[in-house]
Amino acid sequence: MTVGAGARRGGATRGALAAALVVAAPVALGVAYSTAGALGLAGAGAQGFTTERVARVLGERAVWAGVAWTAWVAAAATALAVAAAVLVAVAFRGAGRMDRVARALAVVPLPIPHIVAAATGVLILGQSGLLSRLGAALGLVHAPQDMPALVYDQWGLGLILSLAWKELPFLALVAMSLLATRGAALEEAAQTLGASRWATLARVTWPVLWRGLLPAAIAVFTFAFGSYEAAALLAPSHPLALPLLTLERYTDTDLARRGDAHVLTLLGLAAGAALVALHEWARARWEEP
Amino acid sequence: MTERRPRVAEVGRDPPAAGGPPPNDTIAPSGAEGGTPSSRAAPKVRGPQSPRRLARPFGRAVLVAALALSAVVPFALLALWSVSRQWFYPALLPPELTGESWRAVVGGGAALSRAAVASLVLAALTGALGCALALPVGRALDRLGGWRRHLGAAAAFLPVAAPPVAVGTGLQFFLLTLGLGGTALGVLLAHLVPAVGYLSLYFLGVFSAFDARVEEEARTLGATPLQVLRAVTAPMLRRQIAEAFALGFLISWAQVALTLLVGGGAVRTLPLEVFAYVRSGQDRFAATGALLLAVPPLVALAAVRLAARRTEVVPA
Amino acid sequence: MVSAAEVAAMPWDSVVGRARGTSVTWLMWRGDPSINAYVDGWVAPRLRREYGVTLTAVDAQGAQILNQLVVEREAGRVPGTASLLWINGETFANLRKERLLAGPWSGRLPNAAFVDSASPIIARDFEQDPAGYESPWGAVQFALIYDSARTPAPPRTFAELRDWIRAHPGRFTHDQQFAGVTFLKALMYAEGGGVARFQGGFDSTRYAEGSARVWAWLDATRPYFWRQGKAYPQGVAELHRLFANGEVDFTMSNNQNEVVTKVRQGIFPPTARALLLRDGTIANAHFLGIPFNAPNPAGAMVVANFLLSPEAQLEKQKPDVWADGTVLALPRLPPEWRSRFEHLEQDPRQLPRDSLAKYARPEVAPEYHERIQADWRARVREGGT
Repeated sequence: MTVGAGARRGGATRGALAAALVVAAPVALGVAYSTAGALGLAGAGAQGFTTERVARVLGERAVWAGVAWTAWVAAAATALAVAAAVLVAVAFRGAGRMDRVARALAVVPLPIPHIVAAATGVLILGQSGLLSRLGAALGLVHAPQDMPALVYDQWGLGLILSLAWKELPFLALVAMSLLATRGAALEEAAQTLGASRWATLARVTWPVLWRGLLPAAIAVFTFAFGSYEAAALLAPSHPLALPLLTLERYTDTDLARRGDAHVLTLLGLAAGAALVALHEWARARWEEP
Repeated sequence: MTERRPRVAEVGRDPPAAGGPPPNDTIAPSGAEGGTPSSRAAPKVRGPQSPRRLARPFGRAVLVAALALSAVVPFALLALWSVSRQWFYPALLPPELTGESWRAVVGGGAALSRAAVASLVLAALTGALGCALALPVGRALDRLGGWRRHLGAAAAFLPVAAPPVAVGTGLQFFLLTLGLGGTALGVLLAHLVPAVGYLSLYFLGVFSAFDARVEEEARTLGATPLQVLRAVTAPMLRRQIAEAFALGFLISWAQVALTLLVGGGAVRTLPLEVFAYVRSGQDRFAATGALLLAVPPLVALAAVRLAARRTEVVPA
Repeated sequence: MVSAAEVAAMPWDSVVGRARGTSVTWLMWRGDPSINAYVDGWVAPRLRREYGVTLTAVDAQGAQILNQLVVEREAGRVPGTASLLWINGETFANLRKERLLAGPWSGRLPNAAFVDSASPIIARDFEQDPAGYESPWGAVQFALIYDSARTPAPPRTFAELRDWIRAHPGRFTHDQQFAGVTFLKALMYAEGGGVARFQGGFDSTRYAEGSARVWAWLDATRPYFWRQGKAYPQGVAELHRLFANGEVDFTMSNNQNEVVTKVRQGIFPPTARALLLRDGTIANAHFLGIPFNAPNPAGAMVVANFLLSPEAQLEKQKPDVWADGTVLALPRLPPEWRSRFEHLEQDPRQLPRDSLAKYARPEVAPEYHERIQADWRARVREGGT
């Protein structure tokens, strides 16, 4: 190494951290503004310092129902996408024609904007959508209400499917990459030691996969948790997903209630920060040395 | 006992989800997909493959069919819906066709075509500026070690992970005070917030697999850091920079919540128009807009994959 | 920056002169393609040709308009972005209360002389006096919409509607925004003993009594709503989609003629019809306002005046354009315009004028609207699970 590298490195460290903080600065500013707004110091309808608003909003059933519902949808979508991604990666890891075609097909939703997935979800999964019409043509259902509700429904099934469809390609790519690199070497070793196909799968492949997929899955969960446009088109009116609830309060004609949106924004930012920390921890724990 | 696969400097990977999770290079460094040995400089080792098919051929065929349906049906449906009229339940095919929404696109001055142009410009600028800003940040982050590295990576991920609605409300206020509320420049800045974060993480991954010795040699020969960047680093990372541009482009291309909050309804991008059309029940125009929104990224994806295939080493 | 009040004090010719070559940003609801086509395809070109004003419509309604102006004022944005606003009712009340509107100015428009200021629907906006802070633009009446092929004998009163809903579970609902809240208000008038009880400003006791009846009616009927009353479409456009596809048998609209334009666009089946409930339906007018930080008040006034002209009002009323009622008093118009209005083509699906007049009920104070919306959210939407 050249002379002065140590001093350069010290400066580089400070510069690097500063750069990272600049990247995160808009969020930090948002936190500051929302905190001020939540405490009544800033924003429309601000009437001076008060913790009453924070207490009231955090005590509302609708708020926690919304947070829980959003978390449920994000978790279910992530789990579904992970399961499907693992299935696709494991089933089509060869070099044959079918494998290549399957992998290419699995990757198609990757660059599609989520609004397209959500809009198509409305057209396909609605009670008068494509699936329902196919059902009617086959004589399985006779009226829209015979079809199970997948849109604006209490469990958010349509939203879950739409999110999972969109996130599958990313997770499949990560899984495929894992299988090709870490997985391949370990599996071969297991095979040479005489392990059966299923034992290899359970004892070697799956552990490699879930550890490697965990950071990606957390990232997918994070994205699903904060998604606005899909929820706006597919989610029910109660429990109202957190991004929708935030926007509804933010544009409330009653200016006093508008401050509630700041508290909800802080909830969303806190969730984001927690998930980022979790993601980084998972990467640190299982990243390749 | 376990054979450690050598780390590969070339990252030949397709762009991950737009506006979605980061590529996580540090756990999947060589990123080459599946068993395809393409773009892999490492010695070709066959993983457990042909004789170890885990699913029976019938199961695989079913899966492929399912994948094909899920990939094709949405677009076929959108195409049909974009030209349909009076297409109500339970009709499987539209009783009347109309080219109204597509004519509106081609005939200039239509909301959709204006929005498409606005989206293209914003996305291209986001990709270019995002790349330019994130590359030095990513490289700087790579020089960190230990807890600082994790803090830096977390800080870069935060603007991507935070819900856009939450980030957007704060951004709206600050951009308004700067006089940029409802302007294209304000929306561009808003789009750059997640883009630079995401791309910083991407470049962190790139540089962690990057062999810096060539750069150091150039430095010892007397080149300034800027010259090194321009003449040595950038050409070596041409492919990664192109990928990063594509990622930044897609992040901006798909944005809804940030544009809505910061643009204040005045800056009409394509996803915003599609959103508004679906919300107002104009399904014909929504479907047309959705196709306009989806097709360019798909074409780009296909082009990238074809390009990757062409650089393929002799297949298995 | 010249304020709207100053511009209003100028002679009209100088206002027009100031507006020439400028552009006006108009915050308006863009959720209806017929309205968009009228504004973008008919109004905007004529404004450019005759007055040199470039009109840009931006999507924002009610709460969003209020929000934008509030945030702009908080951030010190003067001048702001929009010069013209499409508002009425509680939006107007809130904007006035927060002093976000400029004025008075509407009386200075030359075409204001033609306005039907004697009509209680137009002279008052949710019982408030516009006082020159907003200029009337159109008048509509609330109506239910049904499909005569599916529902040959629709209910005609709220009581009959309740019986019909119970007999046809899952086939009725209302939306969460303006049309749905108007439905609830009409229900409140009907169940609460008539609109006269609620007139004369907001009275919380009367509100409590009236809303209690509304909740009672809803509690009896909600389990038979679409999705058992647990989910409600966000806006009226989503309700229209449910109706057109046969998921529900009724939709509703604040404009009794929306059924005409939607059938012509192919969004409703051709057998769709409008229905007035005999208990009375709410008729109201919608208006144009100028924000306090408007960058171009002169241009906004020119646009508002043009929109008030007999030419623009006639075009707007045509069934194949928007079918929005006019705010002009026909007797005050020059004879050739008057005869054109009277001979305007009527679509057979339009409701006869005397029925409309017979069942029209005016709006009451905006606090009723806000309270019933907020209480519905808290009590019905969130309390319902």
